[in-house]
Amino acid sequence: FVAFYILQYYITVILKFASVGKSCLLLQFTDKRFQPVHDLTIGVEFGARMITIDGKQIKLQIWDTAGQESFRSITRSYYRGAAGALLVYDITRRDTFNHLTTWLEDARQHSNSNMVIMLIGNKSDLESRREVKKEEGEAFAREHGLIFMETSAKTASNVEEAFINTAKEIYEKIQEGVFDINNEANGIKIGPQHAATNSSLAGGQGGQQAGGGCC
Amino acid sequence: MNFIRGVIGGQPAGAQPSGVETIQKLCDRVASSTLLEDRRDAVRALKSLSKKYRMEVGTQAMEHLIRILQTDRSDSEILGYALDTLYNIICNDEDEEQDESEDAAAPVSGKTKSVSAPEDTQRKQDDIGSQFTERFIQEPENVTLLLSLLEEFDFHVRWPGVKLLTALLKCQCTQLQGVILVSPMGVSRLMDLLADSREVIRNDGLLLLQQLTKGNAAIQKIVAFENAFERLLDIMAEEGSSDGGIVVEDCLLLLLTLLKNNSSNQNFFKEGSYIQRMKPWFEVGDDNSGWSAQKVTNLHLMLQLVRVLVSPVNSPGATASCQKTMFQCGLLQQLCTILMATGVPADILTETINTVSEVIRGSQVNQDYFASVNAPSNPPRPAIVVLLMSMVNERQPFVLRCAVLYCFQCFLYKNQKGQSEIVATLLPSTIDANSISAGQLLCGGLFSADSLSNWCAAVALGHALQDNLTQKEQLLRVQLATSLGKPPVSLLQQCTNILSQGDKLSRRGSRVQARVGLLMLLCTWMSNCPIAVTHFLHNQDNVPFLTAQISENLGEDERLVQGLCALLLGICIYYNDNSLENYTREKLKQLVEKRIGKENFVEKLGFITKHELYSRAAQKPQPTFSTPEHMLFDHEFTRLVKELEGIITKAVHKSSEEEKKEEEVKKSLEQHDSIVTQYKELIREQDVQLNELKDQVALLTAHQEQMQTTITQQLSQIQQHKDQYNILKLKLGKDGVVSGQAEEAHENGLQLEEFTLLRDELEELRRQHAQLQTQVTEKDTLITSLKTEGLRPVEGSGIASGPTELLKEVEALREQVQNQEVEIANLHSDRQELQRRADTVVSSAVSVGEAGSVSQVAELESRLSAQTAETHRLQEELRGLSEVKAALEKELASATSTVAILQAEKSRLQQDVSESKKEQDDLLMLLADQDQKILTLKHKLKDLGEMVEDEDDLDARDPSEEDEEEEEDDDE
Ligand SMILES: Nc1nc2c(ncn2[C@@H]2O[C@H](COP(=O)(O)OP(=O)(O)OP(=O)(O)O)[C@@H](O)[C@H]2O)c(=O)[nH]1
Ligand SMILES: [Mg+2]
Repeated sequence: FVAFYILQYYITVILKFASVGKSCLLLQFTDKRFQPVHDLTIGVEFGARMITIDGKQIKLQIWDTAGQESFRSITRSYYRGAAGALLVYDITRRDTFNHLTTWLEDARQHSNSNMVIMLIGNKSDLESRREVKKEEGEAFAREHGLIFMETSAKTASNVEEAFINTAKEIYEKIQEGVFDINNEANGIKIGPQHAATNSSLAGGQGGQQAGGGCC
Repeated sequence: MNFIRGVIGGQPAGAQPSGVETIQKLCDRVASSTLLEDRRDAVRALKSLSKKYRMEVGTQAMEHLIRILQTDRSDSEILGYALDTLYNIICNDEDEEQDESEDAAAPVSGKTKSVSAPEDTQRKQDDIGSQFTERFIQEPENVTLLLSLLEEFDFHVRWPGVKLLTALLKCQCTQLQGVILVSPMGVSRLMDLLADSREVIRNDGLLLLQQLTKGNAAIQKIVAFENAFERLLDIMAEEGSSDGGIVVEDCLLLLLTLLKNNSSNQNFFKEGSYIQRMKPWFEVGDDNSGWSAQKVTNLHLMLQLVRVLVSPVNSPGATASCQKTMFQCGLLQQLCTILMATGVPADILTETINTVSEVIRGSQVNQDYFASVNAPSNPPRPAIVVLLMSMVNERQPFVLRCAVLYCFQCFLYKNQKGQSEIVATLLPSTIDANSISAGQLLCGGLFSADSLSNWCAAVALGHALQDNLTQKEQLLRVQLATSLGKPPVSLLQQCTNILSQGDKLSRRGSRVQARVGLLMLLCTWMSNCPIAVTHFLHNQDNVPFLTAQISENLGEDERLVQGLCALLLGICIYYNDNSLENYTREKLKQLVEKRIGKENFVEKLGFITKHELYSRAAQKPQPTFSTPEHMLFDHEFTRLVKELEGIITKAVHKSSEEEKKEEEVKKSLEQHDSIVTQYKELIREQDVQLNELKDQVALLTAHQEQMQTTITQQLSQIQQHKDQYNILKLKLGKDGVVSGQAEEAHENGLQLEEFTLLRDELEELRRQHAQLQTQVTEKDTLITSLKTEGLRPVEGSGIASGPTELLKEVEALREQVQNQEVEIANLHSDRQELQRRADTVVSSAVSVGEAGSVSQVAELESRLSAQTAETHRLQEELRGLSEVKAALEKELASATSTVAILQAEKSRLQQDVSESKKEQDDLLMLLADQDQKILTLKHKLKDLGEMVEDEDDLDARDPSEEDEEEEEDDDE
């Protein structure tokens, strides 16, 4: 019986600022399309996609949160229980970059300490309107121990990489034993899925042993 | 608990002075006593009074109780009493209290069974609860306080806390939701209640979450994020799924709240593979383990949950992917098993049919599967047939018949294959007399004596024609044998006959219902199908019947029929192809104006949409009617009416001139359109042609190049041959003494070395030849002088005209090659031009695509004609080029033959050379002979006593032979 595991990661896409392109990033990742009209996110929206890391199928469950200040209290609920987060700013708007520190504190305070955070400078296709240099983003990420990447939800540049690298980072942390997979609060669920059957996922709390063994 | 039972019982009889005083005293004690014991007793006493003196306790003690919650955090007992008291004053549900107090010793669940109290008392109660709730949440900190108390593990705190919060939510839902949403981790913490190992708390936690999530999408999403689906499905499985008790029901209710109208959560549910976990719920099959009321309720909710995920109101993409999953995981199959099982309660069966309907609606794979399901009867019959039998069976419950209609409708929705299969069962060619078919059942229903069957069958048949012109036309072929001896009647005509003449049946149900059904069928059938319109108009009775119906002044209940008749007449006008002279569009309109009046007609048409039941049917596809009499409108039909009403009104209002004008405009527009399409087509063709030509040019160029290289090769060959030839000529032109060198056979004269060799040899030979000749001459003169014997001198003449001719030919070839080069260059530039033109043609094609105006068309036209001309010219040119190419090829062939001739000449020359060598040999022999003769002659002379000079190296030679050879060469 060869079993492989499906991990479910919860990833939250967040930033205090509206319109930096969070929803567009998610849409590009899940549906491979770009929506030019700004469709303000109310609260949160859910999206999902299956990826493969290290031969293992991993379902990324992603919550796209609203950037507007008025939804802040709602979106905070999505920090706890997320294994990773994408922190997105808009490279054409310096104000979105300047508030990163405040946001980061907020996120760290409400989330699992092991949460993998990736810093994303979005809209890299708008080079002519750039206000934040790539080096600045890199420096901030280095200073706070984050991974950094510039993306464009419009051209799809680096979008795939941003999500997959975050997932990989989480995966490595699981391998290292940093995450306790049996604790749901970490945003990771694990369940066996037999190649032959279509059986449903077993819950993380259902007594499954950690770490990709087999049965 | 006994204490509680003692306190309640009597009706709260309003404030009695003693009660108020007691409460005041107790409040003072709660506020001022420093002893915990004392405060605890006071709160307990308040609690015991809180039901009887709800108003008083609430008014006077709330503040004090809240303070207790803040200050006495360490004593769970006093906290419990305080929470209970608050609960009692806020909770409106008196009946529940009584229920609960009766089985208070073992509270399994806090499920509320709302028993309706007399309305005014209930209202008053609600008001009290709401007032106190408002007071409580005025301070948001109170809510935060309560939330923090819920984190207390102690049962005495947690349980009443849960109940209190639930009661608060019931009274002031929206406000409280807002407060909880903004308090940090508020919702998340409440989710933890589901993990409580004490069932009472977990179960009441379910009730709390039901209230909390009601109508608030943000909270619903957070609850889902906090893993609610997993937890709830686990609890349900633990509790026995559909066989489980009220806890399962509560879980299902919460799931329904979380998923209904929440697309994000639905997506999460699907992506979390929870649909797969629904399948075992429906494994109820034939085991007949009994259907308890609870099981029926549970299954009902489970079916509803499935429907929430595939509801027609969801986004099509979301519904489609859930439908797909439901088929892949076997859920649909499981539902179909229930459909065909025996002993399933009627309402579960009905809801299962509705569920199957929505799981297959618009999904080809699922529809195909459904069509393949057979009932386990003997012989097996398709499920569709079995269901339709119920639909046209008067004894079946009304809701079940509606459900079957819905199922049939969903089966045919966007399913052309299914539509054609259904219609095919009615067609003469495919009819199967041995078994009951869907078509037979529908026809039977159409003409049965039961108006409900008429209506359902008419609507069902209409769905088989929806948006499907082919089937509309196919169905015209259906003929019915009405009675013996009479000719068969078409289905369409039979429908109108029943409408106009009324059937002789004594009908059960409403006549209006039957007629509405038939009219809807006719409208659906004939809309967008001119052939059906013509078919309908062909019968002389039909139009007079319609006009009579519309113009008559009928009663209220006939108004809808009038409206539908007007719609049908309108369809006859609008979709008229003017093929019947008596009923052209124009004539029908005049008829409307004369017999009915335009305004009147439009007013009657408006009866349809103004009908009270119309808008309800327009809302959603499922046919739901409170009573059988309300069954009048079909959802799809309302869409048709919406589409046609305006069009027909306009069509009737328009004067014939306007219409003509419009027709003209339409026609010219169509013409323009068709012109544009024609041009587009032409451009496309020319584009293809251009490409072909380009290819041809490229091919020709390649040919040309190939030919050029061939020519160059051959030129060099010719040159070589010429050289050789010259050499040979030179060689032959000379006489010479035979050299002692060995001769070789010349196989080909192409190699330079060989040439040189040959040339050298020839020269040598010529020299030798010349020497020999002089010698011979000398000898001859000698001999002549000696013997007076004469020999004709031998002469070698050159090979005259050949080389000059060759040279000329080569020159000509060169010229040709040059010409060809020029031509090739021309071709190149032509091709480039062609390309350029092709580009412009393409770009103009694009602009044509966008243009719609006449001027652009004109411009296009001119451009096109220019391009056509150019294309012609190019074709001409190409033809010319092809000719040139042919000529060149001919020339090449002649050049090749020249080369061949030259080669022949060359070999002949070589032969000459060898022959002349042989001659030389002969000459040598001759010389030797002559030497011999001379010697003998000398001897003789000596013998005769003459003085003779001594001569060396005298050879013999036959001069006549040599002469002949030379002459042969000359002939060449
Ligand atoms: N040029 C460009 N525009 C982008 C890019 N990503 C997003 N946008 C645009 O930015 C606007 C906002 O995008 P959203 O994804 O809706 O922003 P958001 O962060 O989800 O906003 P909120 O939901 O209000 O927090 C939209 O008009 C997008 O078209 C990008 O990579 N390049
Ligand atoms: Mg957004």
